[in-house]
Amino acid sequence: MKIAVAGKGGVGKTTVSGTVARALARSGHRVLALDGDLNPMLGVSLGVGGEQTELIVAARQAVAAGEEEHAPTIEEIVQRFGADAPDGVRMVIASRVEFMDPGCMCCGVNPVNLVRQLEHGDRTVVCDLEAGLGTIDRIEEGVLDVLLVVTNPTGKSLEVARRAIEAAEAVAEIVVVANRISDESDLEIVREVLGDRELFVIPEDAVIAAADREGIAPIDLDPDAPGVAALVRLAERVAGAPVAA
Amino acid sequence: MPLRIAVAGKGGSGKSVISGTLARLIARQGSPVLALDSDLLPGLSMSLGSGPDPVVPPLMAATEKQPDGRHWGWREGMHAALAAQRFAIDAPDGVRLVLRGKQGPEGFGAIIGASQTFWELVHGLVDAPEFRDWTLIGDLPAGQYQVADDWAPYASIYLVVVQPTMQSALTGRRLLRVARKRAPEATHLVIANRVRGEDDVAHVEKLVGEDAFASLPFDEDVAAAERLGRAPLDHAPDSPWIAAMQRLIASLAALPAAPAKQP
Repeated sequence: MKIAVAGKGGVGKTTVSGTVARALARSGHRVLALDGDLNPMLGVSLGVGGEQTELIVAARQAVAAGEEEHAPTIEEIVQRFGADAPDGVRMVIASRVEFMDPGCMCCGVNPVNLVRQLEHGDRTVVCDLEAGLGTIDRIEEGVLDVLLVVTNPTGKSLEVARRAIEAAEAVAEIVVVANRISDESDLEIVREVLGDRELFVIPEDAVIAAADREGIAPIDLDPDAPGVAALVRLAERVAGAPVAA
Repeated sequence: MPLRIAVAGKGGSGKSVISGTLARLIARQGSPVLALDSDLLPGLSMSLGSGPDPVVPPLMAATEKQPDGRHWGWREGMHAALAAQRFAIDAPDGVRLVLRGKQGPEGFGAIIGASQTFWELVHGLVDAPEFRDWTLIGDLPAGQYQVADDWAPYASIYLVVVQPTMQSALTGRRLLRVARKRAPEATHLVIANRVRGEDDVAHVEKLVGEDAFASLPFDEDVAAAERLGRAPLDHAPDSPWIAAMQRLIASLAALPAAPAKQP
């Protein structure tokens, strides 16, 4: 199956993507994690480490630099330019914005096309999308099985979530992930904007905050912490089967 | 010399709330301020206190598709400064706000024209005599793309906002690299945001690899404003975070004037 994760910057998209990918891999899924953010950070929450994440070559730049003589297939890109993350997760960075990119953002190897073209087969593909609505505005019906729309109990992130739901409701099953929820008043703030829609709640968790601070995968710091355990349950919900932490 | 500032950082680091508060505090000091929101999301508008969905004249009406069928250029009689005057809206404290446009279910194609128009507008403002005495503050979207693509050519100061997390710091590092390449004449400063003490400032400085020019405290009142989607200046005007913003403005005003980027 193919899962994508969207939301405002800073709401925890990457933490959700990385932890769900690791949890699925631990329960036997063959997982490909695609970093579709032009500011790629998925390596950090997958447990590759901050400095190592900086060293991973992005597919677009590798192809643009001419390391491929012939137009590579998506599978060749995954094999050649991907990196290994813990628990057997394979990860690929779609593109980085480091220096002037000679190509056109709309053509060729870019996050949107990779999200579209990555075949899942017997694999589970987890796509961490760019902040905002840029990618989901361009995804057609049938590309994704599930879109996780992540929000915090804040005005801005809820406004972005509301627009994301509006943009994608017709093309994918949406699960709204209410992240960093401390109490009932936080949930009320979320419901005020999103109404009665079912929410998958991830509690505020000091372990996840500590992992974010140091650049460690939350699932490596403490898989039993309440927020991490909730993300493992989210992976189960999405996969439709029990997932071992 | 009025300040010419671009604010960049990871999503959620506090770019918009810093941009919006800077704009209003400087406007209160009596300077004319133009706030430039090149994000498709409503962050700056909400942080200024104009709400998530202000009624905005469509900037795209200032331009038309060129004969090549791919680019948008000014309509006859229109130019950047005139567009900035005509298509800006009033925000609190007399700030004028130009928005690139909204993003929603209308899709990707509809926003290309608005994006090109906004890009033309910010480039035209660099030398516009109409705005010579104006403070310009640009709130850039998350990540490095717009810095690399020269969406803030007016900026003599880049504020790179970093909170004490690995992802935010790595983003800050990447941004500093790209901004120094794109605008080597500008001054590039790290602003440590939501710090709970000296440890957090040191953590930011260690991960980014350079000193913070200023630090802004974690502030429950500002967090409450964010939950409500309100401007901190309206919700918690006497908070320590606002006081730190006042000090930041004084420090920015005291910087030696940097030459603006040549058009």
